Amino acid sequence: MSDFEASTPLARDGRAPNVFREGGWTPMRQYSETEEVDFAIVGTGAGGGTLAARLAEKGFSVVAFDAGPFFRPLEDFASDEESQSKLYWLDERIVDGADPLVMGGNNSGKCVGGSTVHFAMVSLRFRPEHFKARTLLGYGADWPVDWREMWGYYDQVERALSISGPLSYPWGPARPAYPYRPHPMNACAQAMAVGCEHMGMKWAPMPLATVSAPRGESPPCVQRGFCRFGCSTNAKQSALVVWIPRALKAGAEVRDLAMVGRVELGSGGQVTGLHYHREGAWRFQKAKNVVVAGYAIETPRLLLNSACPDAPDGLANSSGLVGKYLMTQPNQGVFGRTKEESRWYKGPPILCVSEHWNYCDDKNFPGGYTLMSQGPMPQEWVNIQVGARKLWGSDLRHAMLDYNHMVGMKVVGEGLPSVHNSVTLADEVDQYGLRIPRITYSWTEGDKALIAHSMDQMQGCLEGANATDIFRQEQDTNHLNGTARMGDDPRTSVVNPDGRTWDHPNLWVCDGSTFPTTGGVNPSLTIQAMALRTADRIEALAARGEL
Amino acid sequence: MLHGASAMLGASVLADSAVEHYRGSFDNPGMYTPLVVSAVTMAAGIDGASGQWLPRRMRDGMYALSGAVGAIGVGFHTYNVLRRPGGLNWLNAFYAAPIGAPAALSLAGAIGLAADEIAETSHPDRLKLFGIPVGRALSAFTALGLMGTVSEAGLMHFRGSFQNPFMWLPVSLPPIAAALTAKAAIEPAGERDGRPMTRSWLWLTSAMGIAGVGFHAFGVSRAMGGWRNWSQNVVDGPPLPAPPSFSALAIAALAALRLRDLEDA
Ligand SMILES: Cc1cc2nc3c(=O)[nH]c(=O)nc-3n(C[C@H](O)[C@H](O)[C@H](O)COP(=O)(O)OP(=O)(O)OC[C@H]3O[C@@H](n4cnc5c(N)ncnc54)[C@H](O)[C@@H]3O)c2cc1C
Ligand code: SF4
Repeated sequence: MSDFEASTPLARDGRAPNVFREGGWTPMRQYSETEEVDFAIVGTGAGGGTLAARLAEKGFSVVAFDAGPFFRPLEDFASDEESQSKLYWLDERIVDGADPLVMGGNNSGKCVGGSTVHFAMVSLRFRPEHFKARTLLGYGADWPVDWREMWGYYDQVERALSISGPLSYPWGPARPAYPYRPHPMNACAQAMAVGCEHMGMKWAPMPLATVSAPRGESPPCVQRGFCRFGCSTNAKQSALVVWIPRALKAGAEVRDLAMVGRVELGSGGQVTGLHYHREGAWRFQKAKNVVVAGYAIETPRLLLNSACPDAPDGLANSSGLVGKYLMTQPNQGVFGRTKEESRWYKGPPILCVSEHWNYCDDKNFPGGYTLMSQGPMPQEWVNIQVGARKLWGSDLRHAMLDYNHMVGMKVVGEGLPSVHNSVTLADEVDQYGLRIPRITYSWTEGDKALIAHSMDQMQGCLEGANATDIFRQEQDTNHLNGTARMGDDPRTSVVNPDGRTWDHPNLWVCDGSTFPTTGGVNPSLTIQAMALRTADRIEALAARGEL
Repeated sequence: MLHGASAMLGASVLADSAVEHYRGSFDNPGMYTPLVVSAVTMAAGIDGASGQWLPRRMRDGMYALSGAVGAIGVGFHTYNVLRRPGGLNWLNAFYAAPIGAPAALSLAGAIGLAADEIAETSHPDRLKLFGIPVGRALSAFTALGLMGTVSEAGLMHFRGSFQNPFMWLPVSLPPIAAALTAKAAIEPAGERDGRPMTRSWLWLTSAMGIAGVGFHAFGVSRAMGGWRNWSQNVVDGPPLPAPPSFSALAIAALAALRLRDLEDA
């Protein structure tokens, strides 16, 4: 545990940090632990933060818990890759399988706002057919929701986050123009555009969750590129900056540095509340409903750790599928050198997109992928040099001298769901005395074919942009999904289309874990769209007395 | 008055191109040209409007230079847009060199030249430009100039997503002023009511140009660090010197209207 985590919570005594003011506070409603709140939400990221805001706005009493601290970006975030590791979930985990996942900064956050506080802001919609991949494309699984309904929620999220993106999007059915104009493309993004044209693919400026003009208390993005280490200006439209202030304003309570260890199952299959650790002690919050939104590792871990005599295999696990079908996304990169200076670290790291291979079905692998430009920060770049290229000593020094001349691309691919990829419990325990997760992962043959295809395409692009000394970063992953999949059938899924667990009518899941497939795009927009849908469904069910 | 308008337009171009080309790190040595030339235009305008110490030929030479450099600038900026991936598309229109901006220099030059022509003659009501009575010609010209400036403000405010409702002002007030001025350029002789409506809209447009500096100053305050971080935000924020080009053109249009009145009399 870092020193920071050991410090005391900030959201208490009727107030919470105001993220827009150094040293500022905002009033916060508080609930007593014996009061049975309508919703206790575990996690405040893309899923939990969004849901907390919407449920509070609909008049429900809400307490949202997060294991991580409540930051004020203006004063807490430094332009320092190392010190910003305080945003990551770095608690102990065991990884295995043929392709063990690297856990940490690249895939999990631990703070109010969740992983969106240090995410790369790429905000893409699923291709409509990807919601019915099994039926229409013959792989993966179907989502139990209609794409048109999801696209309606995408509209809402894009407006809520003022996504800055192109006026017309080259792929898929027509969509409204993005609320804010696109950001300028840096030299690296322009090189990718040239490469795409060379390869006969369309490209577009990337739709991003950082504002290109002032919005409320957010200033426009200053293009300095520290996004993946926490945006210190609040231009980034993270859950911390968008949904949490809305939740607080609508009367929700946020409890920071509050690790939920167990959800309590009462009689009749209903849950009664949750046990959480805060300020050195275990406490219990009563709740009419519990929503788990801890992301694809911590959500199944909490459900499994909540096993009790009435649910010996863990909560919501009658199908045996809690923790199964863990998916990550291939995130390989290809890099090259250009004659002109590129200064690719300028601006948000990802500024150009091609969804060509999401929308083209003439290919020799299942699934789709998105290509994007990338500009790593210096320390990340050293890690790639040492890791992917095995450079050291004077070779490493020479490679680093080329930093300002590099261009690069990466893939975000549709990792396939496999029942063998999973989150289970190890026997070891963490600092709270909770059993830690064991994360097992192996690429499927389909994944390997997709990765090989994407790397050839990226190499072709960079060659087309006249880059030289091209090399590949063969191993990298990001984003996690699955592990509490949604479906129509209680035997083959953990939650129903509303995120309600089949086994316990007042236990819900609202985060990336419910994805039956990952689609070929980054997940956060879909997670938030789904959270908006869940909030609407809960409101409708409550109105009918079916909650 | 026309010389004054030239000077004001020259000043606006000087300040704007200085900031924008500094932002572009004077990547191409040609990027210094508009700074020098707009300063020259401004000097010619001030000289014309005040003591007229310089011989007319010299002042006209300065105005002509301004006109020519503006046209060349449009060429350079177009090239800058077209050589980027995607060519003429929204992204490049937003972020590559603004195609229309250098035309302001040409406008300043042309207005100055006309001013000298008019000063020379004792019968400005009989003076012609391109075979058209000078009042009509200048009205048409300034109306066009206003519309050009409207398009640039419109493009930039669109880039800013019209996030503040006041950003609609420069795309709603000046077009009316421009339309009324254009009407003055083409309507048959004999309208002798002094065109109070047209004049009011032009004064409004001119006042808006000055108020725009205040709005843009507010815009700078909304960027990260606000005015405390002026050295970055003045460069990256909404351009302070841009809105007065509306004022300069509105004033030139008012002068053109005066000539129109003479022609009508
Ligand atoms: C470096 C990086 C870049 C990314 N870039 C993009 C991108 O560009 N575009 C995109 O769409 N997606 C991106 N993502 C992915 C995206 O951020 C996540 O998919 C998304 O945030 C997941 O939402 P979630 O609600 O499921 O979980 P999270 O946002 O991770 O939130 C989970 C929260 O739950 C808390 N929590 C977990 N367990 C407990 C517990 N037991 N008790 C209390 N609190 C708990 C955690 O502390 C955390 O704050 C990126 C992710 C990373 C890490
Ligand atoms: S580049 Fe923009 S979004 Fe990224 S950290 Fe800087 S201000 Fe924030």
